[in-house]
Amino acid sequence: MMQSADAMKGRLVIKAVRNVRKGLEEDEAGRGMYRPGIKLDLQRSRLITESYRQTEGRPMVLRRALALEHILTNMDIYIQDWEKIVGNAASSPSGLYFGIDMNWRSVMRVVNSKEGRDLLDDDGREELAGLADYWKGRSMSDIHQEVFSGEILKYWKLEGTFLWTHWAELGIPDYEKVFRVGLKGIIEQAGDKLAELDREVPRDYAAKKEFLQAVVIALKSVVAFSNRYARKAREMAIKAGEPADRQRLTTIADICSRVPENPPQTLHEALQSFFILHVLRYLEYSTVGIGVRFDKVFGPFYERDLQQQRITRDEALELLQLLWVKFHELGLIYSPTVTSIYGGAASLQAVTIGGVDELGRDVTNDMTYLVLDTAGSMQSLEPSIALRYHDRTPDSLLDKAVDLVSTGIGYPSFFNDKALLPMLGAWGVPASDARDYAVTGCVYMEIPGKNIARRVIGGISLPKCLWWALHQGMNPLNNEQWGAPTPDPRTFATLNDVIDAYLEQVRYFYHRINTIEQVSGELYEHYLPRPYYSALLEGCIDRARESRAWAYPSQVHPMCIMLGTTNVADSIAAIKKVVFDGKKLTMEDLIDALDRDFAGCDDVRRMLLNAPKYGNDDDYADDIAAEIHHRTQEVVASFTNRWGCRCRGDGSALSATYAAGAVCPATPDGRKSGESFADATLSPSQGRDTNGPTAVLKSASKIDTVRTYNHLLNQKFLPSMFEQGMRDRFLAYLRTWGDLGIAHIQFNVVERATLVDAQQHPEKYPDLIVRVAGYSAYFVDLSRGLQNSIISRTEQSF
Amino acid sequence: MKQGQQVHQDTPATGFIYNIQRFCIHDGPGIRTTVFFKGCPLRCAWCANPESRELKPQLMIRPTRCMRCGRCVDICPNHALYYDQDGTVRIRWSLCDQCHACVGACTSGALEVIGEAMGVPRIIHEVEKDRLFYRNSGGGVTISGGEPLFQPDFLLELLAALRLQGMHTALDTCGYCEADLLSLVLPEVDLFLFDVKHLDACKHREFTGADNRCILENLRYVAAGARTWVRVPVIPGFNDSPEDIGAIADFAREIGAEKVSLLPYHEGGLAKHAQIGSAACSLHIDVPEESAMSSLCAAVETRGITVTLRG
Ligand code: SF4
Ligand code: SF4
Repeated sequence: MMQSADAMKGRLVIKAVRNVRKGLEEDEAGRGMYRPGIKLDLQRSRLITESYRQTEGRPMVLRRALALEHILTNMDIYIQDWEKIVGNAASSPSGLYFGIDMNWRSVMRVVNSKEGRDLLDDDGREELAGLADYWKGRSMSDIHQEVFSGEILKYWKLEGTFLWTHWAELGIPDYEKVFRVGLKGIIEQAGDKLAELDREVPRDYAAKKEFLQAVVIALKSVVAFSNRYARKAREMAIKAGEPADRQRLTTIADICSRVPENPPQTLHEALQSFFILHVLRYLEYSTVGIGVRFDKVFGPFYERDLQQQRITRDEALELLQLLWVKFHELGLIYSPTVTSIYGGAASLQAVTIGGVDELGRDVTNDMTYLVLDTAGSMQSLEPSIALRYHDRTPDSLLDKAVDLVSTGIGYPSFFNDKALLPMLGAWGVPASDARDYAVTGCVYMEIPGKNIARRVIGGISLPKCLWWALHQGMNPLNNEQWGAPTPDPRTFATLNDVIDAYLEQVRYFYHRINTIEQVSGELYEHYLPRPYYSALLEGCIDRARESRAWAYPSQVHPMCIMLGTTNVADSIAAIKKVVFDGKKLTMEDLIDALDRDFAGCDDVRRMLLNAPKYGNDDDYADDIAAEIHHRTQEVVASFTNRWGCRCRGDGSALSATYAAGAVCPATPDGRKSGESFADATLSPSQGRDTNGPTAVLKSASKIDTVRTYNHLLNQKFLPSMFEQGMRDRFLAYLRTWGDLGIAHIQFNVVERATLVDAQQHPEKYPDLIVRVAGYSAYFVDLSRGLQNSIISRTEQSF
Repeated sequence: MKQGQQVHQDTPATGFIYNIQRFCIHDGPGIRTTVFFKGCPLRCAWCANPESRELKPQLMIRPTRCMRCGRCVDICPNHALYYDQDGTVRIRWSLCDQCHACVGACTSGALEVIGEAMGVPRIIHEVEKDRLFYRNSGGGVTISGGEPLFQPDFLLELLAALRLQGMHTALDTCGYCEADLLSLVLPEVDLFLFDVKHLDACKHREFTGADNRCILENLRYVAAGARTWVRVPVIPGFNDSPEDIGAIADFAREIGAEKVSLLPYHEGGLAKHAQIGSAACSLHIDVPEESAMSSLCAAVETRGITVTLRG
């Protein structure tokens, strides 16, 4: 019997983390970090601790594989009475994943704080304290603190110019390969390689052998894990009263005993195989995102099932809806600092649809539309949908996508192949690989199955770098030399002097964040190998090397979130207009007004605000914005990661534009201290784009994606834009966005009045979803400040 | 009938323009840029853009933006500006001679000049910016006002230039002009957005200050020679009865107009009167209910002509 969409929606467990911190201060902590009923799940922590105790002294890669095996053999599994696709990472649907092996201190703080008390009961708190005892000196963050000294340690602490983070490691396994050969095939491949090692005995024989053995342990334990679900389903089927229920459970049992060990034969098997592998990525190691090209990977299974009349469209829709519910069960615990960056997010899962295949052909198929129908019927936070747009994207697909956009859910977000394929080319990704790119979450771009060093290393506050340039790197509050000792700004004779000093500060701070990342990469390789995940990537078994010990040769890897580029550009434009062209102020007057946060200098602030701003299709400001974007990335690219690949910025903004703004003093664009930055790399500053949405696109098109990185652009439209008669204009607007070659766009569709009302009466709007950055969030889960920042985005209405 | 005088300057000619707005989606098909001409021969009681009426630049003052710096008060040669009790700047319009010295002194945006002499190249430069959007949406440029026909020479020059650029053009007009002029304009325009306020001559004169006979004659002429949409501002108490609107619809169908657009009255013009020192209309006009608008739409539809709401 088919299950209704409403019933499905009722099963969504909301694990979005509330945005409880305004910048770094406590704010609204009283309401809890998660929704009521959500609990911290200690099971994985308990099991990994047991295993680690038993394996001390053995090679790390084997320890990780044995730990995974221990977890998979002993963790509680469940099958809820409606499930058709099974798999769980926490011991209950309301449990939160927690990687004690990464960092336990911040989580201990959370569960002992007001905002996190309800996540554990007192027994749980006691158990956690016991487990944490073992990890003292052993967790990744302990190891970090021990290793770092001197300069690195000094800059590691959060000061507000950059934030380096452990968090947000992504990655897309080679699902297509698993579907071709099954885990069985990969285990065989590892076996063959082991035999080859014995024949050839290379110099690093032991290391290679340990890795391959770890792969076999990990993959076999995954097969056994799936068989546990098969057994459980069979036991439940025997007890089931209803024939329909017995049938459902028997099907689960059959499927779980076949996949992921064997190649899937049907859509149902493919989805089950995929979901277990996805859950495993979370169980092996703290991670987020999805990234699968859903239509490309699952479309052929669906098509075959339809042809052979094994499935109806409604049945396939139901399977996807059930999968969507399961995605929602994957939530994790965040540290309080990180909530300021990831406010309202659950685990940043996105699936990709559309685009072209390796040969450049449009991939749109029936599954593409089914994904949009699933999303439309579920209206769920995750997964977000990334739609890859290109010149041959069918009108019917775009039309369907706009239907979904018009509901206000915030996705699909649109990724432009026209901009992104050349960018990947410039990053050294071969064309056929580039054509297969997918988006894991937010705007994180990856190549499925390739060994991409998938980390967001953190974020850098570019307006703060400009602020250091206006203060010679010296903090006026405590006279500490924290930034680069750039020349006295009072001596700046041209605009270039300002820009040079700014870039020097960027270089100074980027050097530091990159150094931290380099050392961390080495530590990750030593302490956190991922044998399971490595086995699902192209090249690891062939090389007999773990994924962290080598890298796909491309600039696609290390990414650092670039915060506030628009504010820097607007600031430089204002300095040009007011100081160097208009000669209305001296640098000294300007800095004085900034240091006073414009107190008593309203007219100075006015002058600065009246200067041309990026986002109005005005070359005066836009040319400067382009220059700032391009030259900032040049500085970033002058650094390399530990594989010698050039570093790059990234447009994923999350809620960090708000958090970083909260700790940044006044800037020359007229922004006051603490005010939010522009909400994304291509977005104009809030309310400063006064020439309408076409002008915004024209401005954004002047920033060269190839010379920078994958961007993010938010636009807000009124619901009336999607009424009959207006919709076609919206479609034309979107097509023009594509023609202009802008990397990305996504839409909030909501009336300002609705948001204001929801802020005042949250109880009336439990389901109101807004787009924050590359993810959607429940409006009521956001802090007041972040809500205000979203309300202040310019509404495009004419 | 008085035509607006063209301000004779050295060639190239300039016109008085008070706004060029991009992404207009209610002024003709597709995504458009609308060029607003300043100056209008009518004086409609409900005017939504009173700042568009005079054929000359005008000071506009928005005291809510004032930061009370006092620079304008010091600079005004005619002592037209003064402070009220809480230090916000105010103006005695009778003393102001529109010298605009104060505007340059104000950094807050509280003082602004509405209307600017612009040459054709500058307008073309501006409307070119959204060409891709026009192409993808079937849009183009709308010339509106004020009343574009009030600056006939400049209008013709602009239309010719737009034609040369291959732009789709729409002319939003109240239709109050010499028939000769229309015969010159007609071949240069792709679509007329022709405002009709009322069919009754007396009522029309009472509320707009002008006769409607030539307007209706001009409409008949235009509709016979070009694509024409009839636009009706729906003003409660003036033309909002189903009979009045229905009669306009009958007329529109009879002369071969493509459709009728109903534009409900809004209060956007009210505050602006005080900001430019013009007298607001003394009678109170209600904003029409959505339900009333729907039944008016239905009234038009039963007359056998397409109707759209707001554009
Ligand atoms: S425009 Fe009027 S108010 Fe302004 S300075 Fe001139 S006379 Fe005074
Ligand atoms: S110059 Fe502008 S801001 Fe200053 S008092 Fe006059 S109107 Fe107000």
